[in-house]
Amino acid sequence: MSVERHQMHEEDVGAYLLRALSDVEQRRFEAHLEGCVVCQDEVSRLRPAVHALPRSVHPMAPPRSLKAGLMAEVERDVREREEAAGVSRRSSPFARMRRRLGGVGSAFGGLRPTVAWVSASVVLLVGVVSGAAGLYALNDVTSGESTRSVVAKVDKTRVPFGSGSLAVRDGPQEGAVLQVHGMPELEDDSVYQLWVRRDGEVISQSLFHVGVDGDGAAAVTEDLQDVDEVMVTRESAGGAKAPSEKPVLSVKL
Amino acid sequence: MGHTDDIESLADEEVMHLVQEGNPRAFELLYERHGGPGFSLAYRMVGDRVVAEDISQEAFLSIWRSRHRYQPDRGSVRTWVLGIVHHRAIDALRRNLVHDRRRSSAEGIEERHEAPERERTDVVAARREDAQHVRSALGDLPHEQCRVIELAYFGGFSHSQIAEMLDMPIGTVKGRMRLGLEKLRKGLKEKVA
Repeated sequence: MSVERHQMHEEDVGAYLLRALSDVEQRRFEAHLEGCVVCQDEVSRLRPAVHALPRSVHPMAPPRSLKAGLMAEVERDVREREEAAGVSRRSSPFARMRRRLGGVGSAFGGLRPTVAWVSASVVLLVGVVSGAAGLYALNDVTSGESTRSVVAKVDKTRVPFGSGSLAVRDGPQEGAVLQVHGMPELEDDSVYQLWVRRDGEVISQSLFHVGVDGDGAAAVTEDLQDVDEVMVTRESAGGAKAPSEKPVLSVKL
Repeated sequence: MGHTDDIESLADEEVMHLVQEGNPRAFELLYERHGGPGFSLAYRMVGDRVVAEDISQEAFLSIWRSRHRYQPDRGSVRTWVLGIVHHRAIDALRRNLVHDRRRSSAEGIEERHEAPERERTDVVAARREDAQHVRSALGDLPHEQCRVIELAYFGGFSHSQIAEMLDMPIGTVKGRMRLGLEKLRKGLKEKVA
């Protein structure tokens, strides 16, 4: 790390900890932070001061309705989870994947699951129409074709709780869906972008968001033949023509 | 209700462990312990009870749904919970859900209700003393440093917005934030020592 680069960022530490940087600046600072021990130490040293700030607030009693509404949602979540667990024991891996895609409503702008699933299907179909060779439609396929799952490598510095896997379907109707978990929700002006790298060329695939639970999914629209790597980066809303940062998550094929 | 009593005697980290296993009763207890401070922080930031309630609900639902992300080695449960409330409140402020610019006021809230905390009296007393220490350390900061920290942390303003508001260069704002946090860190250390 050069002294010039460090000097360029050292005044950002306070603003970073107070969340006063713009999204782009925050990403730049985080990229710098990865390789700058001085700034890492400074962030660790000053963080307790920021953590102390909410403790200065005068206490107020929340309305009773808050707890009632919250617990009703939690109980509903528990019921749905139990029901889903019962159903998933009786269905195929691809049916489970479809439910997960449909269930991540916020990945499609907070749509209800059914609508979100239709939107996800449209995204997938666009991929098929735009030249992808034989992308499967995530039906409950029980033919003899095999599906394998490849675990993604995650940059734990930038997405400490993230994980992911690529479900690859081999055979004549090959295709792949990346599922991620524990990823940070991005601001409204940012989006996750999926890419593939083939023979050194990086090709955009799709854009996606994650829900409040950090879960999300995106389809690889490209023919997987000769694809070396599937990658995810964080980009401005609308996506980028080329990755603006090192992948936060990647799968080597 | 013997089981409930058992849970209530647990430390935050143990309660959080049960929450991570998907135990709704443990989550309810987590809310009872930290819902008040969370709501208070949201209200301090947005200055509106209804919006503060929405933010708290969103934040606690997010805590429930991303409960596996909590890591005890990265800080206390309360710090984690309040960090999520803070993020949600900033998101709300930046989405312009709150138009009342009084949120930037350093004077704080006009309407104060002491929140009954579901914790032992000695814990509540220690928290009050700690809050007084933090307020006192903040009060010891030079006004201009305290101002930029409060505008950023409680007002949700970016450094460029603060620079425009206070009519000063962005570099000065960033410098004051850093210096202010440094002094606050030292001040808190001295008051605890």
